[in-house]
Amino acid sequence: MKERIEQLQQDALATLHAAASLKDLQTIRVEVLGKKGSLTDIMKGMRDLTVEERPLVGSLVNTFKNAFEEAFAERLSALQDQEISARLSRETIDVTLPGRRTGSGSLHPVTLVMDDIVDIFSRLGFSVEEGPEIEKDFYNFEALNIPKDHPARDMQDTFYINEDLVLRTHTSPVQIRTMLKQPPPVRIIAPGTVYRRDSDLTHSPMFHQIEGFLVDERVTFGDLKGILTHFLNEYFGAGLQVRFRPSFFPFTEPSAEVDIACVICGGSGCRVCGGTGWLEILGCGMIDPEVFASVNYDATTYSGFAFGMGLERIAMLKYGVSDLRLFFENDIRFLKQFS
Amino acid sequence: MIVTYNWLKEFVDLDATPQDLCHRLTMAGLEVDSLKELGAGFELVIVARLDQVDPHPDADRLTLCQVNTGSEVVTVVCGATNHKVGDLIALAQPGTVLPGDFKIKKSKIRGQVSCGMLCSEKELGLTDESEGIMILPAHLPVGQPVFDAMGWRDYQIEVGLTPNRPDCLSVIGVAREVAALYGKQLKLPSSNLIEASETIVSHASVDIENTRACPRYAARMIRGVKIGPSPDWMVRRLEAVGMRSINNIVDVTNYVMMELGHPLHAFDFRFVEEGRIVVKCAQEGDSFATLDDQKHQLSAEDLMICDGRKAVALAGVMGGQNSEVQGDTETILLEAAYFDPITVRRTSKRHGLHTESSHRFERGADIDMVPVALDRAAALMAELGRGDVLAGVVDVYPQALPQRQIELTLVSVNRMLDLPLDAATVTQCLESIGLNVSTQVNDDGKLLVSIPSFRPDLERDIDLIEEVARLHGYDKIPVTMPIGVVDATLPPARQQLQKKLRNMLVAGGFSETINYSFIAADAVGKIGLSGADNRTHHVPILNPLSEEQAVMRTSLVPSLLETVARNLNYRSTNLRLFELRPVFLAGEDERTAERLSLAAVMTGRKDPEGWAQSVAAVDFYDLKGIVEELMQAFGLEQAKFDANRSQPYLHPGKSCAVVTHNGMLLGYLGEVHPRTLTGFDIDQPVFLLDLDVEELFRHHVSRRSFTPLSRFPDVSRDTALLLNEDVRAEQILDILHQIKSKTVEDLTLFDLYTGKGIPQGKKSIGVRIRYRDMTKTLTEEEVGKAHDKMVNTLCEKLAAEIR
Repeated sequence: MKERIEQLQQDALATLHAAASLKDLQTIRVEVLGKKGSLTDIMKGMRDLTVEERPLVGSLVNTFKNAFEEAFAERLSALQDQEISARLSRETIDVTLPGRRTGSGSLHPVTLVMDDIVDIFSRLGFSVEEGPEIEKDFYNFEALNIPKDHPARDMQDTFYINEDLVLRTHTSPVQIRTMLKQPPPVRIIAPGTVYRRDSDLTHSPMFHQIEGFLVDERVTFGDLKGILTHFLNEYFGAGLQVRFRPSFFPFTEPSAEVDIACVICGGSGCRVCGGTGWLEILGCGMIDPEVFASVNYDATTYSGFAFGMGLERIAMLKYGVSDLRLFFENDIRFLKQFS
Repeated sequence: MIVTYNWLKEFVDLDATPQDLCHRLTMAGLEVDSLKELGAGFELVIVARLDQVDPHPDADRLTLCQVNTGSEVVTVVCGATNHKVGDLIALAQPGTVLPGDFKIKKSKIRGQVSCGMLCSEKELGLTDESEGIMILPAHLPVGQPVFDAMGWRDYQIEVGLTPNRPDCLSVIGVAREVAALYGKQLKLPSSNLIEASETIVSHASVDIENTRACPRYAARMIRGVKIGPSPDWMVRRLEAVGMRSINNIVDVTNYVMMELGHPLHAFDFRFVEEGRIVVKCAQEGDSFATLDDQKHQLSAEDLMICDGRKAVALAGVMGGQNSEVQGDTETILLEAAYFDPITVRRTSKRHGLHTESSHRFERGADIDMVPVALDRAAALMAELGRGDVLAGVVDVYPQALPQRQIELTLVSVNRMLDLPLDAATVTQCLESIGLNVSTQVNDDGKLLVSIPSFRPDLERDIDLIEEVARLHGYDKIPVTMPIGVVDATLPPARQQLQKKLRNMLVAGGFSETINYSFIAADAVGKIGLSGADNRTHHVPILNPLSEEQAVMRTSLVPSLLETVARNLNYRSTNLRLFELRPVFLAGEDERTAERLSLAAVMTGRKDPEGWAQSVAAVDFYDLKGIVEELMQAFGLEQAKFDANRSQPYLHPGKSCAVVTHNGMLLGYLGEVHPRTLTGFDIDQPVFLLDLDVEELFRHHVSRRSFTPLSRFPDVSRDTALLLNEDVRAEQILDILHQIKSKTVEDLTLFDLYTGKGIPQGKKSIGVRIRYRDMTKTLTEEEVGKAHDKMVNTLCEKLAAEIR
């Protein structure tokens, strides 16, 4: 009896190991544990055994059963693994085929530059203001210390709507509008569209500027240098060389042009910087007392600075765009490069 | 303003290199736009002698020259006719590159070897025009580079002057800055004027009728001049600073203007009737011919220089044709005057005459320079024209302009600049540019600064602070950060909403465009708008660049369709574009309104091209889906689409208005009208959204609130309904929304079918309703009852049948 059981166990385990499929495995299970299975047979025969034999055979049967179940589970898992990997390998796809994209759009590079610059100044406590594009001569010129019949008007070729209305030539009228409605201290950034009557390879009759200004007690020229140096380093990269040189704007005094080390050649001189190693990037200065007078700010208590820059120029330098006209042709091949 | 390095050196002992000079000038606010070496690259153009000139054996118009270079004799073929044996000429030897990238090589011309070229002045970039080759003075050393032998080596320095610096519109003015920057003394030019015994007053007189417009007018007379060409040095100088040589007398006026900055005018005294100069305003409507052959209708505000009978010059702008210096002129009446800036500017603008003279007067000339420039020019005319200067000056200057003085405190300088400058430094800065500073004894730190007449721009203490800053050096001012309370506010709501709108469109595949705000006046006609529409009332530009940019746009649609057409031309056929910018509407009383507007277009394929993507083209519902998502994002999910309202540029059957739930118009969307497409040369369907963003922002709702989630299972029921073809989806949805119980979680129209199996005039619509309860699992019976009610109502109200 003992030998028979051990032989049966050995045979059953061997068939289990040899089972090639889940189906075979089920068949073997039935052959061993089914109603007419070999082990079932033995267990059925237990009742014919003697009291002495019973525990012995019972133990052998249990060993067989446990060994079988264990081997079965092991084989089952092995076969399942095989089956899954076979299925997975059948299902393998070419992952290098391009994905199904929906095609996202893009913001205009001028918008990108505008958003980035506004972000930097927002962190310095500047708030955004806007103004109309069709502007009163008073805000665009008179209040900014550019009287009629003054040669400074030649600095900006102007589109006129009528005697008193112009297409604003700069974002500086936002200075006037803001200061007229709120007392100092102010920290304002004003992006917008501006117009000049000039059209050639390097001039567009419509372009974009960002104006910024700050008025408070005891603001110095050093503060102007500080804010702009900080901004330029944030925007173009830390360690960028910046220089301030004297210039003239009717609404600031002292006035300055700000140059940065050429972002193309790094200052050694190239075609973009005209061999000078420097790029003119923005105009700025301390707000002229005449401007304070026209907005009723007390120039003996308050001082401030203002600056302005052209966004297309900055976009050209930042993204390496070579032709100003591309910004207004709206060629999708150009626009998509900024997605 | 162009100056040359050598000319500057006449007035300052300058030892710095031209490059260093340019850098210093730029850093002092006189921005150098260009530095050009005259004669650079012409080292191989040498003085050579013609040893022999023979006719070319095979060409009638050419000569074969034996040219002596000092070290050898070479053969050169020349096409000119003005040369002869013994002449010194400029020989461009092989290797020279002449202006216009013209490379000189050894070559064969009609079978004869030619080792270089005999140059004309034009070929060397000296003049715009020249006849024949240049014959050099006989005394020059053969073999030397021409530019060295002639003393033409120099540097041309172009300064981009800001309008506040009229004092630098002269060599002497720039030299004053240079002297200040290098700590040198400025040397003023001296006039070696010898006067004849006869006096000017016995021949000429001056009356100023309008002393406001002309505070000072001075004249000298030079007799017996012979008009002829100017000497070479003067021609070269004038050309180096961008002026053309005319004749010895006119050249002197220009030379002195460039040197001293004061415009002068020479009259032929024969044509100054009655020997009188009268400065007065014109008669309105009079006609006057300036010496550039232009006729001008005068205004009563134009200040004129007149003689006893007629006008002879447009004061400060240009002389008249009737009195200009001619070949046979013998007596010169030389004018030096000071004219009011605004008067000159208005006249210059009115007649479109911008001259070197008007440029200087309108920025502010130096009234004290009048007699200096007059004497300098008279002496030069006497010298170059071999004439006699009559004794004396007629100088009418009834009321001397007051001397300007400005008080400046050290405190204000140092507070503005964040510097600890002492009185000596500030004084030194200001005196270096010719200002006079005196300290007041009792009040230290207070400076009294006298402003010379050549600096009309210095009027207030802040102007002086700028001078100190610029001369001391902007780079010496410390870099600090402003102190003070920072009240950083969030970007205004309007900005945030714009950003949200932009970002949604970009996520939807749209690219942002920027088109010009000005368009052609007939552009709105191209999109079918007519008279009654307020968008046909434009804000026109008084001085547009072209008819194509004549008016401010009232709609973004025409420019965006043009952009589509342009891209289609480049074979970019799948486009999603938008523009978010203001349109400009004409209001009452010349007032204008700017309204932020959005236009978006889509055309071409629904999906990007690919191996697994659908090839379907976009249609109305792609656009509508985007609009619905926009509406939802702006809290307007109740917005309605009204098929009864549309636009002339949209397909009447495939377009609608989008309105808020209470009927406020937000915009239009639809397929672009085929006629409009033809007008823009577009040959594929385009779908367009035109939204009034001001209205969208006005009606937008920005609340977000939470609805609790049910933990119980859902049940979906689908029903296919057979309906008359003219039943609109909105009717079905409206009814379902009206009667739905609170267990209805969601309802969708999931299928639309006509064709096989559906009777003519009918359509089949699939309705899927999902039920779910907050408090329990719904039973079959409950769902069935609810669904039957929904379906039965539809059947009843819309004569629908269940399929």
